[in-house]
Amino acid sequence: MKIFTNIQLAATIALTHMRSRLKQTIIATVGVIFGITMFVFMVSMIQGINDFLRNIAFEQSPHLRLYNEIQAASGTILDKVKSQAINIVDHSKPKNVSLALKDGKQVIQLLQDDPRVLAVSGSIKAQVFYRLGSSTINGTINGIVFENENALFNLQAKLLEGSFHELATTPNSIVMGVNLAKRLNVKTGDQLLLTTEKGNNFYVTVAGIFKTGMSDIDKQESYASLNTVQRFMEVPAAHITDIKIKLHDMEQAPAFCQELQTKYGFQGSDWRQDNATIVDGDSFRNFMVYGVSITILLVAGFGTFNILTMMIYEKMKDIAILKAMGFSNGDIRRIFLIQAIIIGTIGALLGLVFGFLATYGISQMPYKSDVMITMDHFPVNYSIVYYISGFSFGIITTTLAGYLPSRKASRLDPITILRG
Amino acid sequence: MNLIEVRNINKYFQQPAKMQVLSDVSFDIEKGKLISITGKSGSGKSTLLYLLSTMDTDFEGSIRINQDEMKGKSNPWLADFRNHHIGFVFQFHYLLPEFTVLKNVMLPALKLAKYSREETEHHAIDLLKLLGVEDQAHKRASLLSGGQQQRVAIARALINEPLIIMGDEPTGNLDSYNSAVVFDLFKKLSAEKGQTVLMVTHDEDIAGRSDQTIHLVDGKIDHAN
Repeated sequence: MKIFTNIQLAATIALTHMRSRLKQTIIATVGVIFGITMFVFMVSMIQGINDFLRNIAFEQSPHLRLYNEIQAASGTILDKVKSQAINIVDHSKPKNVSLALKDGKQVIQLLQDDPRVLAVSGSIKAQVFYRLGSSTINGTINGIVFENENALFNLQAKLLEGSFHELATTPNSIVMGVNLAKRLNVKTGDQLLLTTEKGNNFYVTVAGIFKTGMSDIDKQESYASLNTVQRFMEVPAAHITDIKIKLHDMEQAPAFCQELQTKYGFQGSDWRQDNATIVDGDSFRNFMVYGVSITILLVAGFGTFNILTMMIYEKMKDIAILKAMGFSNGDIRRIFLIQAIIIGTIGALLGLVFGFLATYGISQMPYKSDVMITMDHFPVNYSIVYYISGFSFGIITTTLAGYLPSRKASRLDPITILRG
Repeated sequence: MNLIEVRNINKYFQQPAKMQVLSDVSFDIEKGKLISITGKSGSGKSTLLYLLSTMDTDFEGSIRINQDEMKGKSNPWLADFRNHHIGFVFQFHYLLPEFTVLKNVMLPALKLAKYSREETEHHAIDLLKLLGVEDQAHKRASLLSGGQQQRVAIARALINEPLIIMGDEPTGNLDSYNSAVVFDLFKKLSAEKGQTVLMVTHDEDIAGRSDQTIHLVDGKIDHAN
């Protein structure tokens, strides 16, 4: 009870002090407001951009992939034959590895039953030449089961014209990337020639055009049904080259990837390896944002520190009188700490409001990009976490900034002041 | 019964060089008396008063007030003790300039939190009436004249009905009429309410009219006087 009245009394005195130094108090508060506003605004904006880039990339990339890769043989035949001898083989050629995943369809079946797996899709990927008239463009064709692939990558949303469903019904039909179509100058319904690695030619019909926003994909990739591509490549129906998996929790991908690699003997990679630049970029940008924001908050903290220190020098006599009246060192410290906390709280709250308004403002700003087609406004992230951390940062910096001067005030010796 | 017992006090100033200000000071003060501490400037009389006020804790020896030893007590304990038992009046009025006169008087009582806010306010107005400054109650303290401020400061010293009222030349800044008024008030308080008044003064006349005089010469009590 006593402590409550003490705090109340300290607060009254603190408020009177602040009222009598209204201008300085406002300036200190504005410093904090500015710091928090910038913090919320910058974090929301940069995180919005990060999320956007991630979404674009991750919509096109699975959480983990299984595949086979041509690679140099480990050891040589000579070692097997003459295992006791020292064998030196220079320039051994890479092994002829079948790109097909052994028992791929069974592996997919097993993965579909795994509780960690959200969606799984098997596909075949092949290098081809797209030819129309005299022009030849090389690229990639993906043989997919549309329903499975759509569950992973939401292909339907990227379709500009035509239909993916025709892939299954119309023989020799493909859906191609928008930039590829532009380069070949073809539209839905047009025909063109496809040449495989083995030199076989097939006439195909454009059943649709898609746009992902990733120029590498839009420029050279197309989709066809799994059967169609298998027929083009002259491989049996069990032949698939890629298994793509989406997990419930993407953070489990690296561990799960290891597990599958050892279990099935395929090559594998997870989203972290596939998107190393984006993952790195994320952390660098975050680092930058937090660095700049904390600097701004520190500056605001120094402002509070300065004003309270000045206040204490002006109020030395008052402090001595209060002590003579029976205010303890703790009471005096409380008076100045309360001022800092009031400045911090008001500054932080208003900072959050202005930060939100600034964020909202920029999110309404139209922004068209050629690369990121699905973006029409500036992307922002309104996560509550930034507001909570902004508020805590504001309170903590001002309280710390207030603590030192208030401690100094509480330690002032009333005698030397009263003696004059 | 002795209200204040001072035994063998030695006090040194460390700055700028170590110097002894009080040496082997001992005396007793009875409850309800009006005591003057006199001496030339530099004789250590203010220093002695500040030691008795419990604000200065850096001394050798023993000070007992109301049976309690002051030496070695914590800051919150001493602050609370001052709040309860000591009312202080300074030479240069020393009000808090941003607060109203009334609030200035009420502050020590609000800190004490013994009575409700309404009772405290009532009490404060009564004191201001007693000192003839009740019409100034709602003005800001900085707007008052020196004499008025000093009377408000005395009202503030009285609000918690302390055992001891201490003054560092409380009349030093007042004209002779006002200092007579203040002195009479102190006299009345000690006689009627049994409050002990302890003040440092230069004024021979005031010293002569007090119940007891402690005369300091070079930091020692001059018993001849």
